[in-house]
Formats: sequence, structure tokens, C-alpha cells
Amino acid sequence: MAQATLPAPHEEQHDSHNTATGTTNTKLAMWIFLSSECLFFGAFIATYLLYRGRSVKGPTPRDVYNIPFTSVTSFILLMSSLTMVLALAAIQRGDHRRFRVWIIATGLFGATFIAGQIYEFTEFYREGLSLSTNVFGSSFFVLTGIHGAHVTVGIIWLLSLWGLSMQGKLGVQHSERVEIAGLYWHFVDVVWIVIFTVVYLIPPQK
Amino acid sequence: MSDVDSTISEHDNPELLPGTPAERADEEEFGLSVISPDELPMLPGEVKAHSSPFQYVMIAVVLCVLTAIEVGFYYLEGDIPTALLVGCLLALAFVKFVMVASLYMHLSKDKPIFKRFFILGATGACILYTVVLTTLHIWD
Repeated sequence: MAQATLPAPHEEQHDSHNTATGTTNTKLAMWIFLSSECLFFGAFIATYLLYRGRSVKGPTPRDVYNIPFTSVTSFILLMSSLTMVLALAAIQRGDHRRFRVWIIATGLFGATFIAGQIYEFTEFYREGLSLSTNVFGSSFFVLTGIHGAHVTVGIIWLLSLWGLSMQGKLGVQHSERVEIAGLYWHFVDVVWIVIFTVVYLIPPQK
Repeated sequence: MSDVDSTISEHDNPELLPGTPAERADEEEFGLSVISPDELPMLPGEVKAHSSPFQYVMIAVVLCVLTAIEVGFYYLEGDIPTALLVGCLLALAFVKFVMVASLYMHLSKDKPIFKRFFILGATGACILYTVVLTTLHIWD
């Protein structure tokens, strides 16, 4: 039986050469999924733009948006991308203690973002904006709610990686699992970059 | 010096651990990024070595500055033409998007097939929805 050759540093550690694309199917599948997610989120962003400024009754975006607050939650989500790449860098180096710190920090940043979103939704509701109030409410809550659901799935994923690491089931040879979770996490971050600009910062049509 | 390498966890494949035991011990204790990204085993699809933790922090600083500029632009509404304001905000969002995708998601350092798929989805979405919104006269 032929014995597999272990890789030297900075050589591929996975069976990527076994596929026609020269990479693992898992990573390629994640990128194809993220590509399809661009179309998915694009549909909701386009719907928001279509209904922008067309509500026949209030509240309007100007009445409810709290830009300083949303800027802080956006900053928190941006920082979670940093802790995510640091978690990947740590597991690649076999530094499990630091990996757990960064992965749990990423989950906590994500949870803080979701808490901020829940607070924002509650405030909007108190000011009279609900899913059925007007077209702005419908398109806003659906778009940001679906993004929030994606972040929540990401938090569960990160916590499961943290749990595996705590049980000692996540070694340096499992770095790809962390990278795949990271790709998903960074994607929800880039989607928020677009939502924050298009939904919150660009002034509504007069 | 002890013969036992304390930096190796029983769950790690020791052949995949980068750096020397001394470097790993230093990194574990001080977190100094002693181990260069070039010494790490490559991840699937990786072509060039990924950035170092210090570079990641610097990228985050740039992203924070760009976000602060974006928020600053929001408060310039009425002081500068709306078209210019919207153009600047979209340009800043685009730069942030590209930075995260290329540097944190490693699109610039991995096999081009990932980039092709992602660009296909992202530009496809932009073109499709621009056509849809134009058909619905949203820009009028």
C-alpha cells in the first residue's frame, strides 16, 4: 500500500489534487453558495430600492433611523470579521487557546449586533413602524430581518466550532472547517456593508 | 530543555504544525506572530500565503476609517450635491466590500476559480437588478 506523503510547510495539506478543480469540493461549494446568496440578497435590496420613498403614510426612514446607533453596530460587525480571521490564523498555528478566544469573541460580536438589531426593531415598532405599516416597513424589516437570520446561523456555526475545540475535536488539520465558517461570516459582513450604505446612509429621494 | 514539545496538542497532526517548538511556545505565550504565514501549511485552494495577524489588524483599521468617513458623508447631506454624496458613499462601500472579499476572504490569494464564481454572482446580481429597477422606472 502506498504511503501518503505528508506536506512540507506551505504545501497543500488536503486532498485538493483529487478534484478536477484543484481544490476541495467543500470550499468550492461554499463559494458557489455565496455567489447564489449575492442574487438572494440582491433581490431584497432591489425591492427596498423599488419601494424607497413610495410610502403613502409614515413613519419614513428619516423619522426612525438612528444613524449613530446603527454605525456602532456596523462597526461591531466589521470587528467580528477581524476576530474571525485571527481565529483562523490561530488554528493554523495550532494555538488552540487563542483560537477559542477569537472564535468566541466573533460570536459575541455577532450576538451584540443581533441584540442591537432587536433593540432597533423594537424602537421602530414603538414609533409606529411595523411589517404591515407601509412599503418602507415591509421592505426594511424583510431585508434586515433576513440578514439578521443569516448572522444568527453564523453565530450557531461559530459556537459549534468553539464546542468542538473545547472537546478537543478540532486540530490544526481541521483548519479548513474554520476557513469555511469564516467565508460565510465575512459574507454576512460584506452584505451588511452594502445594506448599511444603501439602506441607512444614502439619503431618500425627495 | 525538556524533550517533550508542550505546544503540540494530542488532537493536532504534529506534521502540520508550523514553526519550531520554541517559536510556537513564544507565539502561545506572547502572541507575537512569530510564525510567518509562509511557514503555515496551505489551505485548500491557497496559492499565495495569507496575510499575517498584524496585517489583518491594519486592514481592520483601514476599514474602520472608511466607515467613519462614510458616516461623516451622511452628515454632509444638503451641503454637497446629492449625486456626489451618493457616488462617494457607493465608492466607499465598494472599496470596503472589495477589501473584505479579497483580503479577509482571501480571494486575492486563493485559486482564481473562487474569484470567478463570486464575481459571477455579484456582478450578475448587480446587472440583473439594475435592469429590473430600470424597467420599473425607479431612476425617474
